[in-house]
This record gives sequence, structure tokens and C-alpha cells, in this order.
Amino acid sequence: MKVSNRKDLEKLKREGMASLFPGTIKIMVGMATCCLAKGSDRVMNALENEIKKRGLKASVVPVGCIGLCYKEPTIEVIQPGKPKVTYGEITPDKVPQIVEAIAQGGVKREWVLYRTDREKLLLNGGAHAYCSGKISVLFKGPHEYSDIPFFKKQLKIVLRNSGYINPESIEEYVARGGYFSLLKALTKMKPEEVISEVTRAGLRGRSGGGFPTGVKWLSCSKAEGKKKYIICNISEGDPGIGMHKSLLESDPHSILEGLIIGAYAIGAKEGYIYISSGYALGVKRMEKAIKGAKIYGFLGKNILNSGFDFTVKVKEGGGAYVCGEETALIKSIEGEWGEPRQRPPYPAESGLWGKPTVINNVETLANIPVIITRGARWFSSIGSEKSKGTKVFSLVGEVNRVGLIEVPMGITLKEIIYDIGGGIPKGKALKAVQAGGPAGGCIPKKLINLPVDYESLAQVGSAMSSGGLIVMDGKTCMVDVNKYFLSFLEGESCGKCTPCRVGVRRMREIITDICEGKGKREDVPLLERMARLIKEGALCNLGKTAPNPILASLRYFRDEYLVHIRDRKCPAGVCRPIRTRSIGK
Amino acid sequence: MMAKKMVTLRIDGRDIGVPKGTTILEAARKLDIRIPTLCYHEALTPYGGCRLCLVEVTRNGVTQIVSSCGYEVADGIEVKTETDMVLEIRRFVIELLLTEAPEAKVLKDLALEMGVKAPKRFKARNELCIACGQCIRACREIVGVSAIDFAKRGYEKKAASPFFERSQECIGCGTCFTICPTGAITLKDLAEGEKTVLPDGIEVTGPARIIDNWKVGLEMKRCKQCGEPFAPQFQLEYFTKKVKLPEDFFDVCMQCRAL
Repeated sequence: MKVSNRKDLEKLKREGMASLFPGTIKIMVGMATCCLAKGSDRVMNALENEIKKRGLKASVVPVGCIGLCYKEPTIEVIQPGKPKVTYGEITPDKVPQIVEAIAQGGVKREWVLYRTDREKLLLNGGAHAYCSGKISVLFKGPHEYSDIPFFKKQLKIVLRNSGYINPESIEEYVARGGYFSLLKALTKMKPEEVISEVTRAGLRGRSGGGFPTGVKWLSCSKAEGKKKYIICNISEGDPGIGMHKSLLESDPHSILEGLIIGAYAIGAKEGYIYISSGYALGVKRMEKAIKGAKIYGFLGKNILNSGFDFTVKVKEGGGAYVCGEETALIKSIEGEWGEPRQRPPYPAESGLWGKPTVINNVETLANIPVIITRGARWFSSIGSEKSKGTKVFSLVGEVNRVGLIEVPMGITLKEIIYDIGGGIPKGKALKAVQAGGPAGGCIPKKLINLPVDYESLAQVGSAMSSGGLIVMDGKTCMVDVNKYFLSFLEGESCGKCTPCRVGVRRMREIITDICEGKGKREDVPLLERMARLIKEGALCNLGKTAPNPILASLRYFRDEYLVHIRDRKCPAGVCRPIRTRSIGK
Repeated sequence: MMAKKMVTLRIDGRDIGVPKGTTILEAARKLDIRIPTLCYHEALTPYGGCRLCLVEVTRNGVTQIVSSCGYEVADGIEVKTETDMVLEIRRFVIELLLTEAPEAKVLKDLALEMGVKAPKRFKARNELCIACGQCIRACREIVGVSAIDFAKRGYEKKAASPFFERSQECIGCGTCFTICPTGAITLKDLAEGEKTVLPDGIEVTGPARIIDNWKVGLEMKRCKQCGEPFAPQFQLEYFTKKVKLPEDFFDVCMQCRAL
């Protein structure tokens, strides 16, 4: 059935609503890679078996990730007329007791994390009330969602559907306002109006340098040539983080809708979704999303009866970190080595197969439908002066509540670490936060009141990059951490330019020496000189940002380097040969 | 043919008009401004990897350091080829490459010219291939064979035959050997009766052409008139097929043909 107007879309929405909020018991199991790694598939099986055994009228459905990594596997239970209940750390052996409680119309209080009375619907406006009137005393114990510290300071725009819908159900996506933005853009707005809306919203690219999305779109739309391309970049390569993966697995349609709107804005009839390797589940879900969108006519010819045609293909990469760099990404799609080339020409003038091309990050695109429906004015009211909207972060490391979070820009690091993350385990002291992964830098404890936005992070020598936040306590050695990042970059350098291929390698050799107690007095100034020249001389942003972590650590933790070199000691007790020697004494 | 559109730019304070599509390096050479290069070759597509030809470009008020070999000129840009930063990066590049291939003559000469000494902090790697890719581009763009490409990435990146095994495509023309700036490629013609064993264990007896890097040993064809070996048999077969020559075209060597 092709959707050709608002009436059709409303019908689809009603179908989705019936599936989102059925009149029967519904149990939702987080089934993104993070949840699966903690065994959520076994929990799902156990739930299905238990319900069958009891002959209970209930459905068990997979959903995406709600971000509570520290409490995985999580399940959510909807019982008609009662608050939705979220359980954490559920294992198959806990399932019978939970199902028992549900069968009796109650809850298993010990494992409840929180309850939800009302759920805000970002795009539809308003909220869905799970219960009305008096709440049964059984449900009153656990805190309500809006009182949970982990969520209180979060604002979910990009992750608006993550964990709420079955990622493989296009109807549920539509039920939460999906594809209404596409309808609006295609039937009520001219391409230049879409671009102007995005520009006025102040949306900036959600990885790398934070280039204004509207400006990028405008330059591509103005570029000469009939054939143009739009590419969605899903190739975060930062070690240990997975925001893009989670979004892709939890809500593929939000990315797809953003991409189609972008294509309309710049005048592209073909697009690619470039997905890094190791995202098998995400690829599967995106393929399914594309299939569904084709069936309903959100892709293909004459989309929503607007006369606009657009097709999209998924292209899987080989998993190289450098393929997140746009010119290398283009080469990879063309079937060449994933090697960057010099810009200009920028892809907006000459990109894929020499045609004007826009490459947008996955998180950037997921913001687009929201900007179209809620408007530039609403969007730009969120965030700080120059950084509008929200940012998704992987909050990891030495923090109590590890998770996937989305916060308004301008929030302080302190709020993220202590209010959302619940501080450092065992009440230990914070040492530093590493932001931006291999392209970013560590931020010391004394700067914890720093607002998180593009400019502030860059000012302290760190970076937004794709959004990893690694919290470090006193048992982290800053020299060792940088050895790790440099080793990572050494392995991920494409090897095209000398500063990156040889320079990063030599820096890694120096830092390895320092860790092993073989550092020399002149190493610190040498590292600084090399870092400065690699930053200026390297070809692409991988090389240009490679020295960032080391420069930041030399700025804030210089003493640690000096102690390693002068005293042959590792203050944190991490660097092995040095530590062993001191024990031997 | 219509004349190409002309573009005016300024290099080191001197104005010059060049056809659209010219690179900064080409424009600078017209003004006799010397910009050192390593991975650049006028017969090949620019690569921009060695970072020796860096210059400072100001375009629309934005100043960037770019490789001049691949940067197409644009109206009104201002180029400075010898700023402190540019010179310092060039010296740094030579220092880094000297830790790789300290014996390469081209690097020694450049080091001397720029007053650079090999850094003592690092142990030399003594790997002559500096991943400039000239051999690869020459094989693809000039010879049209693509027998070799880069293998691996990062520090391990180097020109290689597929899977580091004996190249099945190499015609033994020696263009890679001739173009390599550091002498990383070895080519040897075995004399009559001379023997060698290729890395994959195959024994080759001269007359034959050996290129160690691509693990090839190609039998040489003898001239029907003078009897001297003159070119790899496989290469002659390749040309015969490629340009549809008569089967017996290469029976006689060039010298005998000229007589």
C-alpha cells in the first residue's frame, strides 16, 4: 500500500498506535547489540516460553536501546491502564517471578528501576498516558521516569524512539510522528525552504568540526550539475563507543527520513548509507527499513505523490577508522582504497564519482525530521549560543551509571558525570574525562564546570568528535592512556601521508619508551614539536587531530610524563616495567 | 580547440596567469620557484602523500597549508611557498623519512639542501620504500597494467604485488624500477645460464628478468636474427595482444629491425 497523502499516513499511524499501545499486556525487551551482549535474547526466549506455559495473553516484542547500559538487560512491561514498568538486570531465571507478578496484575518490586505514568511524544505533541486517575499502590513504590536522575537532565531528540519502538516496525515509527516531516517537507516546502529551516535551526554536523548543516546543503544545492548524491555516514570508529550503532539498531527510520528530506533539499535522486563493518544487526535493520519505506512509497518514484524520486543503497565499509573522513568514505564507496584526498575540491562541489555530494553524519540526519516538524525556532531554543540542540554521548569508564545519553548542548561535564552518571564508583575522586576519543583530549577535574559544546571543548584542547566520554579516576595513567590512543591511530592511519604514517609511529615509540622507563629528558619537548608539525602537515583530519590527545595530556598532566622520565615511576602504578622494578626494590 | 580559461594568482608576491586546471606546483615552476617534491611526477596523477611540496594558500580570506602538487589554481588566491611553517614541516618530513630510509640518495640530497640531519632519537628502519606510490601510479597510468598496488596500511603500507605473491600481471617493463625515487625496487637481467630461485621456490635460469619486489622472473625472448635476448617474452605477448600486432612482429629485436 503506497502512502500518497496525509489521510493514508494517518491510517498508518493508527495501525502503529495499536501496536505501540495495545489493549493487552506487552513486554518490551531491549534488543540492540549492547543489550544482546548482556544476554537479552535469552531473556526474551525465557519470557516467550513462560507466557506460553501460563497461557497468558501477552506479547513480547523487541525494542532498541534505552541507554541504561549499566542495568542491561532491561525489559519494560505495559499493562493496560497501569503505569509502564521498567526492570533492570533481568536474567532468564528471574523471568518466571516477573511473569507471575504480571499475571496477577502487579509488579515484581525488587527489580523495578522506575515506572512511567506518561510518555512524552516529541513529534506528535502531547503525551501518552499509561494510566489515569489513582495509581494502584502496588505501582507507587518505584520512582516515576521523570524523577530518575539518569534521565532527569537528558533530552531525547535524536534518541526519541530508541527503546520505545520495535526498530523493525515502520508503523510504530509513524505512530510516533515519523514520516510526517517528510510529508510536510515534500508537499508544503520548497527545497530552499527546507535548507533555510535547517540553517535557522543552527544544526551543526554531529561529528568532526561541527560544520553548519544548512550551509553544507546550500553549497551542494547551488553546485553545478544535474546529478547529485547524499550520503549518510555511519562509521564511528572510536574505540569503545557505540552511539551510531545504537541509533542505527534502535531507530533506522529516523536516519532514513532525515536522509530523504536532505536529498529533497539538495536535489539528489540517489543516496548511500555507508555503514562501517561490524554492524551486522544495524545493516539488517536498515535494509529492512529501506524495504518498508519502499513498500509505503517513502522511497522510490513520486514519493508521497510529490513528484520527487529518490533511491538509497546501503554500502558496507571495511571498518577502517579513516573511512569516517568524507573523502576516504567516498573512495571506499567507489571501490578504491579508503584514502583521503586534499580538499578543496570539497565533496559539495566534487564528491562521489565527481558529482556534488553531501555527506552527513547519522546523528545529524536523525535531527532533521524533528527540525521540520517542530521548527527552527523550537530547535534553536535548545543548547548553547553557538551549539544548538542536543548531543548523544557514550558515557563510559569509571562512572557509576554507564550508558548512552542525550543531553542539551551547554550542559556541564559535572552534570553529566555526577547527576546523570552518578559519580565515580566507591566515591573515588575524578581525575579526568577524555572527550572525543582519538581525535579529542582529556579534560582535567579542575575544568569540570565546562559547558559541553563545540567551542568550549575545542578551547580546552579536546573535541566533540563523535561523542565518547571516558571518565577516569586516579588509577588511570595519562601516559598509558595516550600510548593506547597513539597505538590505535598508528594502526588506523591509512599511511598515505608521511606525518601521519611515520610521525604518529615515532611518537608512539617515544611514549612506549616513557611507559617502559626508557624515556629521555628531551622527549617531552620533542613530542610537542612533532605534535605541532603533524597537526599542520598531515593530509586529513585523522592525522591533523591525531596529536590532540597527547597535546592535551601534556598541557594538563605534564608532571606525570616528567615523573615517568625523571624518576622512572608510574604514579598511577599502571606502566608495568616501571612498577615491577619499584616492587623489586 | 578552444583556449582554456585563464586564472590569475599570486605566488610569493609575483602575479601569474595560467590556464584553469593548472596546479600551484606547475604555476610555481613556470616562475622558476623551486618547490621540492618526492611523490610527485609530471607524468602521473598527483598523490599528495609525501607532504614535501606543501605551500601556504590564502583563498577567500582563509589560509591553509596544502600540497601544491594537487591543488588546482583559482582566481585571486595568494600562495606563499616558503613561510616558516612550510619550511619547518618540509624539514620535519625529511627528518621522518630519514628514520625510514637513511641511505636513500634522494633523501640525503634533500637533507643537505635543507640543512636537515637524521634524528638520533630513533632507530633507523632501513626500509627503502617510502610509500610514495609512484611505481603503482606508473604501472596503472602509464603502462596500463596495474600489476601492483599498496598493501596494508599505516606504517606497514608499501607497494606490493597482490598478496605479496608472484605477480601474474607484471610484464617486466621496468617502469617502476626506473621511476622509484629511492631505489627500493630491484631489477636484474640474468645472463645466459645464470640461475636464481624466486621467493616462491621456482628456479629461473637466464636469460631472464628478475624483479624481486613483485617476485617475478620472466623468461627473455631471443631475436631470431642476432640471437640475443632482448625483452621479456610475456611483455612482448602483452603488447602484441594489446595493439593487435602480427604474431611474428617481435621475432626480431629493435636493433636488427633498424638495420
